[in-house]
Amino acid sequence: MKRETKKDTTRAIKRRTFIKTGAAAVASAAALPRAAKAAEPKATVVVVHGTDIPKMIEAGMAKMGGWDKFFKPGGKVALKPNLAWNSTPEQGGNTHPDILRAVILAAEARKVKQVTIPENTCQPEKKTFEASGALEALKGTSAKLYRPRPSEYKAVSVPKGKVCQEAKVSRDLLEADCLVNMPVAKHHGGATLSLSMKNWMGAVDNNTRRAWHRNGLHQCIADFSTFLKPHLIVIDATRIMLDHGPQGPGKLAHPHEIIFATDPVAADTYAATLFGKKPKDVLHIELAAKLGVGCADIDKIKVERVEA
Amino acid sequence: MKWLRRNVWRLLIALGTAALALGYVPEACPELGSVLPRLSPILSLFGALAARAWLGWLMLLGIPLLILAFFKGRFFCWHLCPMGFVSEAAGKLNPWGKGLVKRVPAINKALTLVIAVTATCGYPLLIWLDPLCIFNGFFAVWREPFTWAAAVTGIGFVTIVVLSICIPNVWCHRVCPLGGLQESVMLLARRLRPPKADAPPPSTLSAAAATRRTVLAAIPAAAAGLVVKRALGPTGRKALRPPGANLDRFTALCARCGNCMRACPYQLIQPDLGESGIDGLFTPKLVLRSRNLDQEQYCFQDCVACTKVCPTGALRPLKVEEKHARPIGLAVIDLKKCLAWEKKEYCAVCDEYCPYKAVKLVERNGVNCPIVDATKCRGCGACESNCPADPIAIVVKPI
Repeated sequence: MKRETKKDTTRAIKRRTFIKTGAAAVASAAALPRAAKAAEPKATVVVVHGTDIPKMIEAGMAKMGGWDKFFKPGGKVALKPNLAWNSTPEQGGNTHPDILRAVILAAEARKVKQVTIPENTCQPEKKTFEASGALEALKGTSAKLYRPRPSEYKAVSVPKGKVCQEAKVSRDLLEADCLVNMPVAKHHGGATLSLSMKNWMGAVDNNTRRAWHRNGLHQCIADFSTFLKPHLIVIDATRIMLDHGPQGPGKLAHPHEIIFATDPVAADTYAATLFGKKPKDVLHIELAAKLGVGCADIDKIKVERVEA
Repeated sequence: MKWLRRNVWRLLIALGTAALALGYVPEACPELGSVLPRLSPILSLFGALAARAWLGWLMLLGIPLLILAFFKGRFFCWHLCPMGFVSEAAGKLNPWGKGLVKRVPAINKALTLVIAVTATCGYPLLIWLDPLCIFNGFFAVWREPFTWAAAVTGIGFVTIVVLSICIPNVWCHRVCPLGGLQESVMLLARRLRPPKADAPPPSTLSAAAATRRTVLAAIPAAAAGLVVKRALGPTGRKALRPPGANLDRFTALCARCGNCMRACPYQLIQPDLGESGIDGLFTPKLVLRSRNLDQEQYCFQDCVACTKVCPTGALRPLKVEEKHARPIGLAVIDLKKCLAWEKKEYCAVCDEYCPYKAVKLVERNGVNCPIVDATKCRGCGACESNCPADPIAIVVKPI
């Protein structure tokens, strides 16, 4: 609705001012979106820049309203990092283990009942969990990292899905009181970029994954994001893979950023800018916005920057 | 009871092998499961001789048995061999058949000669008659998940048991090539050592005559091996073989012991039931497409488990870097079936999963379409086992 109003006013102003002076029209049209953005943001994204990951996480969460807002004593927490590949943390194919550890420790400090981390890896899970540093990150914690067996998926229907209308999803992710999506930002050969919504492909079983590839990958990713809504999104952009994704090794850039949000579309829209891409370049972001999952208009996303 | 007490070592070795075979092999040392077959010089030494390759220090496990035979004759057979133990026990089930074995001519030394000569020529025949291999193969069957296809490695064991019930002791005394080898070594030792005063009279056959006979027998044996080799060509190329396979003489070198099938953590190795011809019967082949859709199943790039447990050199022991450099097969895309090429889907799963970066993406109508770089492809099957197209559009072919 607001988007429409904005367009109308812009046009109205243009029409009126164009008659008077052309130069004034250009100036006012350029100035207006900026004013609108400051006035009415539709989503907030917290971006923390730094090198000390635990510090960055704490700083970001302070800005997000504190961990206590998300992790309740006795609640079930489920994390969905991206740990798909048998590659090292430096290669940027998986979520950085330090981020994983910081979030687990925060959850444990708030006396949650359990922390589960189901992940449908793309390579043999034993090697993947070890190489990615996740096993090391879990040491001394009570978090449970595993690759779900067939019985640990639950068939669900996706009522708002256009193509993907049913899926099999890790039970623990569905039953969590707090679901944290914590992908790594990277290039992807099929999905253009792998960000938070693409990360749900590790939450579903292989048959669902295959069906998505057959039936329009971008639409299915967008469809599924209407169903599974994370309470918190933490995108690892400490280093980002620019090509040869999602497995890598590829060319890396080092934004040294961690992105926090609750709106998946806004989070992905901001993360895409790190790759120099707009939502229209990453089809599933645009499609998700059309389905009403979140805000893909970078001008209406409030980016709060924090240095840590 | 007395019989059992005399056989306590054989029993222990049999149980130990069974335990190792049934999955109590410590993960850090998968080679332990291949110790028993390697004790047979037929597998470890003749195998290496035929493969023309050094198979690691473990191949030297075949030497003690030769030394033992030199000094003690068939001590191994009567006191240590688990297959002999089973065969003898089976024979006891048939108390009426005691004398039958005497009517059967002994072919064991002839078999040994055939194996030894053809192995020297580089193409061993009948290597799969080795008793330790047969014993070992029986236990390769019992693994998770059980499949009837995998049960074929147990056929040799069952055959020997049935044979031993019909004609007690016929396997050990008349057929077993490992027994024949030990007998030959023992005869050689007798000739080399000065006879003791109270020794039994030497065999009626003169040394010269025996040598002449052996040489005369060796010629047709060698010829047989070379003829078979010429007729069959490179035998490993007809099916997809596990990594490290000696593709030129695979079906000859493979003893069908089942070790590689058991070692594969992803259950990708299955016995060939005729795909690669009669000579390839029961040899291992790689089956990449996952039977269990909830698990990725391809020949994982950092796994060399199967190559470490082959006693004969049919699979050469590989280091991980060697595996990365050596093709198993070659992935071929059928453009008509490919989701990206044919239906313009955003797929690229083959590129996504390829651990060797062997899939190149080219843009057609705004969609990334895959092509295979044959110089980088190692045929691991990551693409094939994850291809979402139905039917599968990318398939690994033998090379």
